[in-house]
Amino acid sequence: MAGPEVKDQYKVSPFLVFYLVHSVQVGVGVMGFQRISTKYAGNDAWISVLAAGLSLNLIIFLIYKIMLKEKGDLISLHHNLFGKWIGGLLSLIVIAYFIAMGITVLRTYIEVVQVWMFPDLNKWIFGTVFLLLVYYCLSGGFRVVAGISFFGVVIPFYLILAMIFPLFYGHFRDLLPIFNHSLMEMYEGVKGASLSYLGFTTLFMYLPFIKEPEKSHRWAQGGHLLTVFIYTIVMITTIAFFSPEQLQKTVWATLTTWKIAEMPFVQRFEYIGIASWALVILPNLCITIWAAGRGIRRLSRVSQQSVTIPILVLILISSSLFARRESIDLLNQYTSKVGFYFVYIYVPFVFVFQYIKSKVGR
Amino acid sequence: MFRWLKKSRSPEKFKNLPELIRNLQDSGDFLHYESKQQDSSFFIYYFKTLVHETELNDHILPYLVEKPLKTLEDIPERVPIPGVILSSDLKEICEKVMRGYVIIRLNANATECALIPSQVKKARAVTQPEVEFTVVGSKEAFVESLDTNLHLIRKRLPVHELKAYEVTVGKLTNTKVVVLYLDGIANEENVNTVKQRLEDINVDQIVDNSVIMQLITDNKNSPFPQLIDTERPDRATSVLCEGKIVVLSDGSPQALIGPTTLVEFFSAFEDYFVNWIVASSARLIRIFAILFSILVTPVYVATLTYHYELIPKDLLGTLVSSRQRIPLPPILEAIFLELSIELLREAGARLPTKVGQTIGIVGGIVIGTASVEAGLTSNVLLIIVALSALASFTTPVYRMSNTIRLTRFPFLLFAHLWGLLGVTICFCFLIAHLLKLKSLGRPFLEPIYPLRVQDLKDAIIRLPLKFQNKRPVHLQSEDTVRFKPVTEKDKNDFHE
Repeated sequence: MAGPEVKDQYKVSPFLVFYLVHSVQVGVGVMGFQRISTKYAGNDAWISVLAAGLSLNLIIFLIYKIMLKEKGDLISLHHNLFGKWIGGLLSLIVIAYFIAMGITVLRTYIEVVQVWMFPDLNKWIFGTVFLLLVYYCLSGGFRVVAGISFFGVVIPFYLILAMIFPLFYGHFRDLLPIFNHSLMEMYEGVKGASLSYLGFTTLFMYLPFIKEPEKSHRWAQGGHLLTVFIYTIVMITTIAFFSPEQLQKTVWATLTTWKIAEMPFVQRFEYIGIASWALVILPNLCITIWAAGRGIRRLSRVSQQSVTIPILVLILISSSLFARRESIDLLNQYTSKVGFYFVYIYVPFVFVFQYIKSKVGR
Repeated sequence: MFRWLKKSRSPEKFKNLPELIRNLQDSGDFLHYESKQQDSSFFIYYFKTLVHETELNDHILPYLVEKPLKTLEDIPERVPIPGVILSSDLKEICEKVMRGYVIIRLNANATECALIPSQVKKARAVTQPEVEFTVVGSKEAFVESLDTNLHLIRKRLPVHELKAYEVTVGKLTNTKVVVLYLDGIANEENVNTVKQRLEDINVDQIVDNSVIMQLITDNKNSPFPQLIDTERPDRATSVLCEGKIVVLSDGSPQALIGPTTLVEFFSAFEDYFVNWIVASSARLIRIFAILFSILVTPVYVATLTYHYELIPKDLLGTLVSSRQRIPLPPILEAIFLELSIELLREAGARLPTKVGQTIGIVGGIVIGTASVEAGLTSNVLLIIVALSALASFTTPVYRMSNTIRLTRFPFLLFAHLWGLLGVTICFCFLIAHLLKLKSLGRPFLEPIYPLRVQDLKDAIIRLPLKFQNKRPVHLQSEDTVRFKPVTEKDKNDFHE
């Protein structure tokens, strides 16, 4: 199976991969990833976050190695490596994973809004309007998806300024002593931090839409490094700001730190933060749903437009079915776990398998 | 059954020239008489309302009667006016006579005739620009006559590369539309897009260039204008030099410019007449004004409906005391005021200038003060709404300010529904919509998305002229270099 042929007019420039990678990573995870990481790694959690981030640079490198050799997308890769049936099944699993990511992101965001802003927000109506927005973006094609991810990074960037306020109240001695946790604890911390890094595997799907994909490699790495940088800063601030016990009871630590921001014309900054976060969530949903729709379109002969609507309805229904905090937490944990293994085990496996197959095939 | 088809207005329904002329005689202003000389005679037919009769009597008829006319071929030789043609094509004859040509026949049953151009050209004199007035700079504005408009541009751009491609549009009005571009500079694909879209137009009448704009625009279901219209010949010339395309149409004092971008709607032409620092700050103020105009009332509604906590307690006192007597929820308060501003604007636009001013004063001051005193609106909101209305008028392109004011209403509704979250969602819709827009096939949000750093030199800020030596990337000009910048070798030092 050959890779997809994308007309030049639908392709986007390589540097946009920076935003595509970064925007799909920064989503609901960053609002509360601190609790899970610090549960095991304590005050060394920032090292876990940094380590998880830097190790993923290697994974992005592997993805580029695989895809530049394949010159196609994930669907053609699976088809060529594992044959029609097993490959197709694997592709379906990945598509399901993308959809699950969309569900997780939407549901978690609605939960945040319900808890912090509008306790009686109707999740059906809000979900419908939000997914309509997603559909509106998707109907413009990948160019608009990339544009949304560009604006989804650039416009809400002022939120990083809100991280300055907790610095005034933080105790940076809390970071000491460094390396007082075992490697096993650190590893658990890495696992906990991984959900917030996931999503860049959508690279597998949209790389054919990039002009000169080989040039986009450094941009992908750069986008990821920006995420690592932001997460590490956020983590360090959080560790300095909270006491360990308090942090274990704080589900959305980032939002709690925003609460203390105070300016002459505005206070309770988290309201602005959560509202602006819609613009961060939007590219997340757009990219994952686009990737899922694209995958199904490539597997079958259905058009992407007609497959997107069922996906959106599926996401709306299934995300609204998760009602309780525990079930949402569980959803997050499972998606994170699947993503963790996808990234750290499946991607290297595919790399090795492709390498062996190319050697043996010759 | 198909009689209506046969009844179409095409000249084919006339069998021959005499029948055509008989038909034309139904109109009272169609003159026909026989000019009898000693040994020859000829027939003259024309619309007296279309023909310059003095010119006809002084410069055409004397040459026809000085010697007897033998054949029609004599006429082009004798009459010293270019454009005299002989024709027996009924369609052509009909078209020409309707444009002010004089028909001359040698006998009453002849099927061939001579056509002598003698149009009367009545047009308003070139006046000052009213919509895009600038304190410094040229004081000429386009008028309704296409020829005058072309002259205004050609005299500013005396190069042979300036091409004027002519299309006739409109089944009834037969409006002449001219596509102007600089050959070898404007992107050929853009030029062909415009030509193609103009030729695809299939309507009966073209009232104004704005109609053409609606017909050739990329997304017809968008409130955002995707082509700029200008009444300044110097602006039209300037964008031609950039590699853009200008569309002029007969009977319209406005030129269309494309392809354009969103930021261009916020750049006044006066920005090029002043120093770059002044120009850049003016642009920044305008962009701030747009954001302010769209967002401030929705944010007020959102904050006062849902997020009282956002307001610091010192500021809260002012707001609460201004609102304590108001019985309406913020959304109704805001819609009431926004609508009254819209009413004032609409009334002011429909009334003659002098009455309009009175309306503005009566409406602005009396209604505003009265509604605050009556306890219908808070004075804080009154200030906000008035400011945002004012801010919307800072856009240099009139069409855009209409769009901006319209955009505010969905924002208001979303703000009432979900507070600040609703405002963000509406903002996302706006961004997605803008991302999808194109102007003549070129992205509308350029140079912000797709990000083209080189084009930022003349977008949100305007850099000095020496940096403007390349044509904008998004136009994909055939020739990208405008001029070679002069390198300043001797740099200033303290002691020199």
